[in-house]
Amino acid sequence: MMSDASPMAADSANGVPAPFLSDASGKPRIGTDPASLFAFATLIRDTEKLILDLFSRGLVSGTTHTCLGQELCQMAVVRALDHPDDHVLSNHRNHGHFLSYSGDFHGLVAEIMGRRDGVCGGYGGSQHLAYRHFHSNGVQAGMTGIGVGLAAALKARDSRGIVVTVIGDGTLGEGLLYESMNLASVWQVPVLFVVEHNGIAQTTYTRDTLGGDIVARGAAFGLDTWRVSDREAGFIDAAAAVVAQVRERRRPGMLVIDTGRLGPHSKGDDLRDPGERAALAAADPLAALAACLPADEVAAIRASCAAYLQAVERRALASPAANFDPLPEHSFRPAQAGQVEIPEVADGNVRAALNSALHGLLAAAPETLLIGEDLHDPYGGAFKVSAGLSTKFPGRVISTPISEAGITGAGIGLAMAGRRPIVEIMFADFLSLCLDQLYNHAVKFPGMFPEATVPLVVRAPCGGRRGYGPTHSQSPENLFVSVPGLTVLYPSHRHRVGQLLADAVLRWSNPTLFLEHKLLYGEKCDTADYEILPAGDDDLGAALFPTLRRGSAAPDVTLLAYGGMLPVAERAAKILETQEELAVEIVAPALLAPLPRQTLLQALLDRPRILVVEEAHHHFGVSAEILALLAESAYSGALARLGTLPVPIASARSLESAQLPDEAAIVAAVIDLL
Amino acid sequence: MATPIHVPRINNNDDEVKVLAFDVKPGERVSAGQIVGQVETDKAVLDVTAPVDGYVLGFVAQPDEIAQVGSVMLWLGASASEPIPEAGAPTPDSSTAGPSPVTGKAKLLLARYGVKSDAVTPIDGRITVEAVERYLATHGLAAAAPAPVVAVSRPAEPRPEVPGTAVALSREEKGMAATVVWHRDCAVPGYIEIDYDPAPWAEYARAFQEEKGLLMPPLLPLMAWRLVEVARTMPRINATFVEQQRYEYGAVNLGFTIQAGESLYLAVVREAEVLDAGGFVNALGDVLRRAASHQLRESEASGATIGFSSMERWKVTRHIPVLPPHTAFMLAHAAARNGRAVLGASYDHRVLNGGQVVAALKKLSSPT
Ligand SMILES: Cc1ncc(C[n+]2csc(CCOP(=O)(O)OP(=O)(O)O)c2C)c(N)n1
Ligand SMILES: [Mg+2]
Repeated sequence: MMSDASPMAADSANGVPAPFLSDASGKPRIGTDPASLFAFATLIRDTEKLILDLFSRGLVSGTTHTCLGQELCQMAVVRALDHPDDHVLSNHRNHGHFLSYSGDFHGLVAEIMGRRDGVCGGYGGSQHLAYRHFHSNGVQAGMTGIGVGLAAALKARDSRGIVVTVIGDGTLGEGLLYESMNLASVWQVPVLFVVEHNGIAQTTYTRDTLGGDIVARGAAFGLDTWRVSDREAGFIDAAAAVVAQVRERRRPGMLVIDTGRLGPHSKGDDLRDPGERAALAAADPLAALAACLPADEVAAIRASCAAYLQAVERRALASPAANFDPLPEHSFRPAQAGQVEIPEVADGNVRAALNSALHGLLAAAPETLLIGEDLHDPYGGAFKVSAGLSTKFPGRVISTPISEAGITGAGIGLAMAGRRPIVEIMFADFLSLCLDQLYNHAVKFPGMFPEATVPLVVRAPCGGRRGYGPTHSQSPENLFVSVPGLTVLYPSHRHRVGQLLADAVLRWSNPTLFLEHKLLYGEKCDTADYEILPAGDDDLGAALFPTLRRGSAAPDVTLLAYGGMLPVAERAAKILETQEELAVEIVAPALLAPLPRQTLLQALLDRPRILVVEEAHHHFGVSAEILALLAESAYSGALARLGTLPVPIASARSLESAQLPDEAAIVAAVIDLL
Repeated sequence: MATPIHVPRINNNDDEVKVLAFDVKPGERVSAGQIVGQVETDKAVLDVTAPVDGYVLGFVAQPDEIAQVGSVMLWLGASASEPIPEAGAPTPDSSTAGPSPVTGKAKLLLARYGVKSDAVTPIDGRITVEAVERYLATHGLAAAAPAPVVAVSRPAEPRPEVPGTAVALSREEKGMAATVVWHRDCAVPGYIEIDYDPAPWAEYARAFQEEKGLLMPPLLPLMAWRLVEVARTMPRINATFVEQQRYEYGAVNLGFTIQAGESLYLAVVREAEVLDAGGFVNALGDVLRRAASHQLRESEASGATIGFSSMERWKVTRHIPVLPPHTAFMLAHAAARNGRAVLGASYDHRVLNGGQVVAALKKLSSPT
């Protein structure tokens, strides 16, 4: 019988007690005396060795990056975080940060092995970990904007918490880092950028890739800066003092820690010459700590660490492979109840409707805020959608630097902290700069971690017919509809666009792109003779963001159009009805992703001819997906699609109008279909 | 030379502005720099000034009108009597080519009736629906029936390459064509058969004949009656599938296939479940007689909820019937061979499973 005798069995690995104490939130309490530091650092080091050993035995799922040699560097800042609101954002080399924050050795080892007991259920592996306010991700510098957003949220609610964002020195080459440092400075938020300077990035020496000075980078942005070495006495206290100063001053800082990587970048990729490695090992800070302790104490600490990690390994090996039960088909959170009613602006156009929705949102929901370029009065945004808002809601309508990726990241951070940010990107063409933030971050957190929600709305004016040329005229929905977990809304003047925006912000807690065609701003909002199609039961968001239809119930042809294409499709329908004597139906979705498949099939499957029209560069885009949907559903009528050819959109109006589908092109395409 | 004053751009992103007011009158003398009027976009108002000295000749835009940026707002002249220049002819928009010579709908009609467009006399230069309908009427083709509401979309059928004559279908043939389409597109057909001993059934029919003093043993009507009885106890076999639900009929309308000359009918005895065996045999006899003389009433030619088909007459030993529209079960009776016979059923798998069909067939395989 296993028994009653062990008083510490509960919170331990297979009956072996953890050789450290934890605080109320489970965070290890690591003292600053040499024995305590040596004990925890040894646990981290032996865990890394265990992981490499498991790797060699083929038991690790995917890749891993250990922090051998950098244990103290990784512990120092994290161990000093003692406020429940403190956040840590880390990168690929995160085991030391994670273990110092969570103390969950079993969860980490099982996670890296792809076992069910893994701290992230097998989603994260080595480099995507989440635990309370700890998040790591595998895109270098990808989390730096998010950290600024989290810190802004802390500042807004007067918390004394701070955000620590860790990067390696190789990551000083990433542009987003500088957007983030600048934003942190402009907003004066308590975020500490920690640069772990080990002199190397994967296999490339930083000296070959870095121009200028590291600390001067922080200073140039007005950050408080510090530089310390984990090989120097007093390092742990110095790092703790930096944390205390950031907490006290409530403004951003940059801490550079000189450290040394003893192991490979990942596994088997250490190409440095043996002399260099020997020199690093000679300066090993753990060896220095051990040297200050009596030999028997060192031996005792090593023995207790080994016993504990053997138990960790046994338990991780006993955990079955992670499995989905059931396999998730999507990562969208359902629509929430409770609505802010946005009154329709009498005789108003789309611009007025959106402006009124933003007024309504800011007035009714204190968690909402607007972030974007040139939003402030009297300018009120490039298309005047935010006119009057900065005057009425000071502090919640924020004009930002020209940093599309940075402000999108900040939006994600604010959203993760419970705010409901609305980010405006001045021209949808620039969404390409936000793509990593949406594709690798906004949609990943809710998809991987059940407790993470990212209720972010990114608004952007899109579309051409104004002669703005190749980089200010595009309709990029085709790129974004394929991002798993991203909602793409592109309404028209026929939809209740203000209400749609309000619902996207308050009732749809999923990262959402909200596209607005520039030419629709001046169009009068009018539902005209459109009716709402019944939403398919399985269509996520379809009831909240309805698809409309108008026209003949027994049409000769159905035009499917959305967003800025709708007025054009309507003009074409008129020509087809009057000049070609055809019965025409228009189906107009506002929700493009997740595509309301059932709703569309119910409306389209028995139609004899369907033309899908869009303004986007449409190969591989929305129309392609709709045509594939119909083909997969055994639709056997005639089908065609019309969009913009894969060429840059010209500035000259005469050229542009020949490129973008107009009513004549739609009429011609319909005639071809007959 | 008259000088135009153009509608100015106020905001980079607005192509249209509202003309608010004019501060001058036609004929008035203005000097360069003088304010002549105002325009407005959302929230911003801009004064419009005269670029040169001159006389106001007239306005092109009007107050409260939405005007295109860059269009002419008003004209100034060197003298008050100068004429306003003619508006230049609008540049033709190459994208709006004239309408096609055949309207789209007319094209669809022509295709439906296999008529070539050059056979049709245009109206006002275009072949319209009206023009096609005129042609159809004068050529004895059916007047343009409204397009079938069930627009089950099918690609245009390819025409055979070998020349031949198209023969129109009779009503029953069209009915069968529709049945086959329903069977293919709307049902999930299955077929099951069991072996059975036909002797007890033959004996039962003979006894019935004797008892009622009939000319012939009514084997098939009695088997059909048995089907009605089984349908009464198993409502599933007297059902169909609509809108993702099983739809169990409130009456048993037994459809019975009968070949009369070249026509194949599905003759229907409605509400058969309220009859008794004798009543049903008589009712079916009446319906079959009318079918044989092509005199079926409308109500007897439609509305079957369950079907019975026998190919015994042709000595066929097995056949798989096509399910009539909105039925889920059709019994297949065939000729016996060496004292054994098969009893089969086509069925809609969405309504019935194999086990249920076998259970029904077992019941049907003996007269009691
Ligand atoms: C955006 C991006 N580019 C490239 C990589 C691949 N990569 C992973 S770690 C790494 C080196 C990072 O070096 P550094 O920032 O110095 O961190 P260290 O590994 O030294 O801790 C590279 C290139 C990545 N994960 N993300
Ligand atoms: Mg490095």
